[in-house]
Parts: sequence; C-alpha cells; structure tokens
Amino acid sequence: MSALRRRIVRAWAEGLESVRIALLSLAGARLRSFLTTLGIVIGVMTVIAIVAIIQGLNASFEGQMSNLGAHTIYVSKWKWFTGGDDWWEQRNRRNMGTVELRALEEEALLATAIAPMASQRALVTFRDREIERVVVTGTNPRYLETNGGSVAAGRFLSDTDVELSRNSAVLGADVAQRLFEGMRPEEILGRKVVVNGIPFSVIGIMARRGRMLGLDMDLNALVPVTTLLRDLGSRRSMTIAVASEPGKLEALEDEVTGILRRVRRVPPEKRDDFSLNRQDTVLKLYRQLTGALYGVAVGVGLITLVVGGIGIMNIMLVSVTERTREIGVRRALGARRRTILFQFLVESSVVAATGGAVGTALGLAVAQLVALLTPLAAAVTPSAVVLGLVFSALVGLVFGSWPAWRAAQLDPVEALRYE
Amino acid sequence: MAEPLIVARDLARHYVLGGETVRALDGVTFSIDRGEWVAIIGQSGSGKSTLMNLVGCLDTPTSGTYSLAGSDVRGLPDDALADLRNREIGFVFQTFQLLPRASALANVELPLVYRGVSRRERRLRAEEALASVGLANRMHHRPNELSGGQRQRVAVARALVGDPSLLLADEPTGNLDSTTGEEIIRLFGELHDRGHTILLVTHEPRLAARCPRAIRLSDGRIVGDGPGSEVASTGAARAVRA
Repeated sequence: MSALRRRIVRAWAEGLESVRIALLSLAGARLRSFLTTLGIVIGVMTVIAIVAIIQGLNASFEGQMSNLGAHTIYVSKWKWFTGGDDWWEQRNRRNMGTVELRALEEEALLATAIAPMASQRALVTFRDREIERVVVTGTNPRYLETNGGSVAAGRFLSDTDVELSRNSAVLGADVAQRLFEGMRPEEILGRKVVVNGIPFSVIGIMARRGRMLGLDMDLNALVPVTTLLRDLGSRRSMTIAVASEPGKLEALEDEVTGILRRVRRVPPEKRDDFSLNRQDTVLKLYRQLTGALYGVAVGVGLITLVVGGIGIMNIMLVSVTERTREIGVRRALGARRRTILFQFLVESSVVAATGGAVGTALGLAVAQLVALLTPLAAAVTPSAVVLGLVFSALVGLVFGSWPAWRAAQLDPVEALRYE
Repeated sequence: MAEPLIVARDLARHYVLGGETVRALDGVTFSIDRGEWVAIIGQSGSGKSTLMNLVGCLDTPTSGTYSLAGSDVRGLPDDALADLRNREIGFVFQTFQLLPRASALANVELPLVYRGVSRRERRLRAEEALASVGLANRMHHRPNELSGGQRQRVAVARALVGDPSLLLADEPTGNLDSTTGEEIIRLFGELHDRGHTILLVTHEPRLAARCPRAIRLSDGRIVGDGPGSEVASTGAARAVRA
C-alpha cells in the first residue's frame, strides 16, 4: 500500500469518524445542541427568508417590467421618480399635448410607433354597478405596439375611432369582470358603460396584465385620445410613448429631444423642459432599492452568524474540556495533533451546518408564509440553499478553530490524567 | 539474544513546580528484551507513572536516552512520537478509557484508523483481536453495555490490534474486583506465552509477584530489579541488572 493511499484512507476514516461523533453528540444532547445552534438557525433563517423574498420580488418585477416596452421612450413633462425641488420645476413645465404628438408623428423617422397616453381617473358605471378611480387612458391604435398588451375579446381602438372621436372603450380585464360579473365576453361587447356621466360603448376587452409596482394594471379603460380630451376635459399633461427599433433607442432619443426642443421653443442655453423616461429608469430605481435590502440582509446575516458562531465556539470549548481524557486516549493511540484539530473542526462544522440546514428550512417556510399572507412573492433558488449551508459550515470552521487548536495543543500526559 | 526492545540509560525527568525542581525520575538505567513480562512497582510518587509516560513515548526525558525498538526518541517531533506510539505501543489504562459512544469494534479499530489501514482490513483485524480476548460475541456492544472485565478486555484488544512491540498496562486491575482482575492477569499471562512483551505498572506487590521480572522504583530511582516474586515480597534493594 503506497504512502499516499494510506494517507487518503486515514483522512477519510478520520473524517467519517469525526462526522459520526459530531452527529452523535448532537443527538445525544438535544437541548444543548438546540440552544447551541439557535444563533446559526436564526441567522440563516433570516438571510434565507430575505433573499427568497427579494428573489421573488425580482421574478415578479421582471414579469411586470415586460408590461413597459423595453424599446419605448415615454415622453412626459414629468421625470419618473422625482421629488423635492425637481418636482416644483417639473410642475411648472408646459403641458405635453397634441402639438408635440403631431410633431413627433410627422418628424420622428426612427420611431416605429407613437401613441399618446392622456390619463384621467373616472367613475365607470354599468346599470347599478360602479367602479371608482378607474384609470381611463386616451390613446390611439399604436398603444399596443408601444406598451404591449393584447386584446382578449372584441377589437382594439382603430384610427377611425380616433379621427371621429367615437365614444368607444376597451375595458381592462378587472373592469370588465367587475362591471359585468357572470357575463360572457361576447355578451359584454356592444354594451354601454358610463364614464363620468358620458356613455361609451364597449368594443373590446384587454387581456389580463397583472400588477405592477402595486398598481392594478387591469383596472383601466382605453378610449380614443380625441374623445378623452373632448368629453372628459382632461387638461392634464399627456405622456407620449415612442417605440424604437431594437438598438436604436439612443438615436431615437436624440431625434425626439431635437423635435421637442424646437416645438416647445426651448432656447439653446436652457435645459430640456421635458423628460424622456425609459424602462431602465424604473429598473435602476428598483436595483437601488433591492440593493439596499440585500445590504440589510447581509448585515443582519453577518451579525447573527457571528452571534451564532460565538455560541458554537462556546460549546466547542465545553466539548473539548469534557473530552480532555478522550483526546489523551486518542493521542496515546497514535492521533497526531492535526488529527485532533481536524476532528474538532469537522465537528464544529457539522454542528453549524446542521443548524444551517434547519435555518434554511425555516427561512424557506417563513418566505412561503410571507408570500401567502402579503402581496410579496417568494422564490427559492438552489443557490440560496447552498449559500446558507456553506456559510454556516464556514462559521463552524472559523469559530471552531480556536477550540480545536486548544484541543490539539493538549499535552497527552496531562490530558490522560485530567479528571 | 538480539538487541533489547527497550534501552533506558540515565533516564531522568524533572518538573518545575512552583519554582522548585521535582526529580520525578532521577537517572534510571535498564533494558527489556522482546518477549519479557516486567512489572514496574512502587509507591505512588515513586516515579512509576513518569517512567510509564516516557516508555510510552507520551513524554520526553529531561536527560538520558531512551530507545524503543531501535529508535531513539530524543529529539523526535511530535508527529513522529504519535506514529511511534501507534506502531510500537499498545496502551491498557486503569480506567479502560474506551470511547463511550462507539461500539467495542469501533474502539478496537481506532488505532488502525490512525495508521491508515483500509476499512475492510480494519474490521477483520479488530474482529480477530476481540475474538482473541474472548469477546467475539460482544463486538457491537457499547462500553456501557459491558461489564468492567469485558471493558478491560476490549481495551486489551485495542492495544493488541496494531500488533505493537510492547503492551503497556497501567494498573489494569485497579478498577476491577479481584475475580475480574484475576481474569485480566491470566489474559496477560496468555499473551506473554504467545510472545508479547508486556510492561505492567502497578503498586500491588501481589501482582508484581506474578511477573517473571519486576523493577521497583522509589523516589525516582530503581531500588530493585529481579524475579517478580523476590522484588515484590522483599522490596529490598538488589543489584541492578546490567
């Protein structure tokens, strides 16, 4: 048998032995093991739960983001997610209206589709049923291209609807469902609903889009932009959605900026008095938010793991003292110092990893619970589980090293004599 | 006969306790041949435990030389001492010192684990060793399921399993009643007959008297060395065997 083979056999046997001893001592002193690993359990549980929730958020957020066109610029006087001084500056900007829409439609050559979005909250009724605060958006047929979405029943708005300012409406899935409860889609089409006192006939129903950033995307109605401006008297600034070909977004932005500055007569030395918003804007903000949340999770996790690690260190010191004579015997039988070191390191890692496994399971349970009880989603990726286990084992290794080192430094004679 | 198994020359071990030097072992010279059964006898504090630690390579001498199976232990690094213990010495302790959570078989296998013997061979040799001490039917019992005598037999099997040059027993009957103790001594007798070299550390003259040879220690020096019956009964100083 070669020396190398011997060493491998020996290391393997010692490793197995150590794992066995660790599991036995865990099982042997249940209460103590429970208390020892509690810190690790709580730490790993917290981190896993937070990570699972963040990952769940990511998954649902990505789904929601697909509701915003990835290649669409949303031209508005408002810059998304601003506050403070900027808000005042933007509030005083001139409204975005049909002039800008016309100019863009005529001159923006890089645009593949342009749709206005003038929105108004309104009361929508059908017979004795009513829904408050429905987002009624005036737009044109290109809306489907710029914003995505599809029609589930009937048809979408046509150019004729817009030209003739018809009182036609395409209802969001929730609006249709709540106003016409129990009716089949084909029964709904052609019915008259009343929007802020003005009758509209239902020409289509949108497919369900879900929620985005807490907003119900299905509690809306789409009407011709001309009708909205005429009948519902919206004086509010509109948003113009401009879609580009993939990869030409930057060029389109330049083009749109040029057109708008001219139309809105912005002097060359002044800054733009409008904003070009993109999906990225939302993404960036979202990343900042979740980044901060990750930071908190990591911070909390590190602190609790340190606390848990100290628990492990404590119990390992006790274990070394309790088993001083065993260490002496092992040394007498031929265990080297590093054999003893290795044994206690394996033991502390196994103890910690067991705590980590329990913590991971609990963390996933907590995440599921949160997902059930709140609108937050939870998603579990294998990487989170592996991370939890590896991290806790590492904590065991780090915090077990001092007790293990002490065990290895014991003098065999002293250890054998220890009472 | 060939070279002795153990050669100790002017072996001394001093401790410093509270600023005072304690001469636990103060220059002893002796040798033990292969196949001998020797008792080390003395009162507590006579230095017999210190001598046992030195012979067992658990400790290193302050001065003097000690060689076991041809290798001088002086200056050996800790790992080499551990390997030497594993290879050459089988320990039997007064309080058995079995691992409580492991079966008899696993206890006996332990020295072979530290030697890197494959799993199958470990199992085979441990079973053999247990059978040789009459415990073939108790292999899977844990120490707390065994009687004192059986535990000590497991310990003897553990000492034997690595086929060491020297069996080093420290008061092996100290925790046993006289009947069981007698069984263990008889077991040592059988092992001696089979050719094992045995060093028995004890304070009981009755035990030492059963050994073919005994060395009496007092105050860290050898005060008697000769046939067990004589050294044990008289306790008188005799000429140190050359």
